Formats: sequence, structure tokens, C-alpha cells
Amino acid sequence: MKKIWRTAVHGPWPYWVGAMVLGGLNILVLLVRKRPWGVTSNLQDWAVWLAHLLGLASERIPVSQLLLAEGTYLNLGVVLGALWAALAASQWRFRPLRQRKFGFSALIGGLFLGYGARIAYGCNVGGLLNGIASSSLTGWVFALAVFLGTWIGAKILLKFLV
Amino acid sequence: MEYYLDIWGEMCPIPIIKSQRKLKVMAIGDSLVLETEHSCTARGLVVWAQKEGYPISESEVAAGIWRLTIAKTHD
Amino acid sequence: MSPMVKNQRYWNWAFMSVMFFFFLLLAQINWKLALNLGLGIGLGFALEKSRFCFVAAFRDPILTGMTALSQAVILLLGVSILGFALVAGSGQGYALNVYPLGANTIVGGLLFGIGMVLAGGCASGILMRIGEGFAMQMLALAGALVGVFFGERSLRWWQGWGWEQPGIFLPAKLGWLSTLSLEMAVLVALWLLARWWQNR
Repeated sequence: MKKIWRTAVHGPWPYWVGAMVLGGLNILVLLVRKRPWGVTSNLQDWAVWLAHLLGLASERIPVSQLLLAEGTYLNLGVVLGALWAALAASQWRFRPLRQRKFGFSALIGGLFLGYGARIAYGCNVGGLLNGIASSSLTGWVFALAVFLGTWIGAKILLKFLV
Repeated sequence: MEYYLDIWGEMCPIPIIKSQRKLKVMAIGDSLVLETEHSCTARGLVVWAQKEGYPISESEVAAGIWRLTIAKTHD
Repeated sequence: MSPMVKNQRYWNWAFMSVMFFFFLLLAQINWKLALNLGLGIGLGFALEKSRFCFVAAFRDPILTGMTALSQAVILLLGVSILGFALVAGSGQGYALNVYPLGANTIVGGLLFGIGMVLAGGCASGILMRIGEGFAMQMLALAGALVGVFFGERSLRWWQGWGWEQPGIFLPAKLGWLSTLSLEMAVLVALWLLARWWQNR
């Protein structure tokens, strides 16, 4: 019992335990929210809000609406939960960028990832996992496209980053 | 012989690719030491070494820094 | 067993106290938001503790031949499909993620796949690694916010490339039983393929 508790707090959990826990929480999110867990549609609202602040977008999303959006707290929760998980095991530290090439790859990768997720209506969570979990054909097609994209990305990674 | 492979600050899966290449040129009986601050990288290396049948030991040398030692026991 | 470092115990207690009061405050304003925060924290905690990574599930079979995480994602998909069928099939008022299918799905998936390999995390993975303290993923989030903005601006144009406007909800076409058996069969086949690929 003590050993189980230690692994639960300190980690790492076996991958299949993670999958079961995430699956259970994913279903709970659907029950609470009446719609599935997603990440990027909330990021999009914040991006539009930020763009308006910088004078790049005409429409205005009031910040009070964003602060009362469920998606905001799910996303914030993921960040805080990971922080807590690292702290609980005494494994938190600030991990600075060690090589400049990873800064470029992060910025370019983020740009591609954000654009792709929004035109396809979802990221790995909202589009792929919960698209498939919703028994939508789009989810399966998206998964196939993501796999092919990953293959191209892997070639780029081997060429420029290794 | 003990070899040290510099994977500091590198993201997955570059450390595994580098280890695969390094282990190929090492002799049987040598060991490979790696240090990383990426939790996923440490985990991925352990799972990979276990699958390949190389004994691997993992220790946390500081908060959020893992030191891994892989022994090359076979080709 | 690896030796354990324990020097962040007090930070952990401090963090937990702050979180507790934040949760209580949020529950005063809107208990549903507090519930969402709690679920988000649970998801982030589980993602970090199990080192779960959707990127690795797709990328590692190609680059290193490992499919441990791919098998875990297949399990997660199976659990979620059955859970969603149970929840949405028994209750009313659930809006599932059935979205339009079109060239945008393919192009978006390709770009998303390339991007997540380069950024070192998908959307949830980026958030999780920001929590872990990675500067790289903070940059990736900045890039993602810009990308998301451009994606939102060009969505109208992409809608002209749609093939199926409301999207195809498989149970509506095939019925629940055949949909679920088909999906489970595909997942089992993928799982066997993944296992074979790793032990090759």
C-alpha cells in the first residue's frame, strides 16, 4: 500500500495507468461540461482577444467572458496540475532553452500546430481523441492525416535538429 | 569503458536516436551515462532500454535531473 | 528503487494551500468553473505523472521503433469511445465533437502533425510542459497563439473546401452496435500492429 502511494505521488506511472486515468477524467469532463474536453478552441478565443488588444482584430471578446469560460479553467488546470505533479515529486525546475535551434523549432512548430488545429476543428484532444471518441468519421481521417504529418515532421527533425 | 553522451536540453526523441547510434560503436561491457532534465526523456530511455534488453539504472541527482546509466551487454 | 530528492516539500505545501483557496474562491463565483479547474488539474497531473505524450505515440514508431505510448493511446481511445457511447447514448443534451470533413481536415492534420513534432508537444502537451517549467514550450505556446489566430481568420476560406458539411456521425449511418464493433475491431488491429512493430 505504501509503495502504491509512493508511486502515485512520485511517479512515474505505467503508461496504461495514465491511459485509464485520463480516459476516466475525459468522460467526467463530458459529463460536467456536456461537451468534450478540448484545448485549442479556448486558446483561439484568447488569441483573438490578444489580437484585439494589439489592434489586429476588429471584433472584441470581453475578458469577463473569457474568465467565465470553462475551457479557460480546463487549460489553466492542465498547467497547474502538471506543476503540482512535478512539485509533489520534487522534480520541478525552470528548464531554460539550452540551444537556439530549439527556440526556432518551437516557434515554427507552434505556428503550424495552431493553424492546423484550428482549420481542422481540433487538436490531439478535441479533434483526434474526442473526435474518435464521438464516433465521428472526421476524427479518424484527422488521425490518419496527423500520422502522415508526424512522419514529415520526423524527417525534418532528423535533418535539422539531431 | 564509460562513455558520456551530451543530451543536455535536447527534446525527445533525439536522446534515444543518439543513444542508439552511440551504443552501436561501443564495445560489449561498456556503459553509457546520460543526464537529462526532461522527465519524459528519462522515462522513454528507461522503457526503450528495457525493451532492448540493456540493464539501465536511473537516479535523481537533483530536483528534476535524472542520470541514466545503460550497460551494453549485447549487440 | 532510485534515491529520492525531497527538497521541494515546503513549496508543494505552499502551492497546495494557494490552490485550495483559489478553488474555494472560484467555487463561490461559479461551482462549475471550479469543477472544471479540478478536472483540468487532474488531467494535467495524470499527463505529467504518466509521462503521457500524444506526439510520442505517433512519432516514436517512426523514429525509434517504440510503440509503448501508441498502445497507451489506443487504450485511451477505447476507454473514451465506450464511455462517450454510454454517456451520450443514455443522456440528452450532449454536444459531441462531430465536425465537418473536408480538405481542411487533411491539410490541418498534416500541418498539426509537423508542428507538434517540431514544438515538442501537442496542444495539451505544451500546456503540461509549461507546468513542468520548460521555456521551449512557452515559446511554442506563443507560436501556437499566432497560428491559432491565423487559423481562425482563414477558417471561412477553408469551409469552401468541405466535403461533408455537418460531419459524419457514424452511429447515425451504421447504428450504434456496428459502429462500436467496427471501432473496437480497428483499435484491436492497430494494437496488434503496434505490438508487432515494437517486437520486430
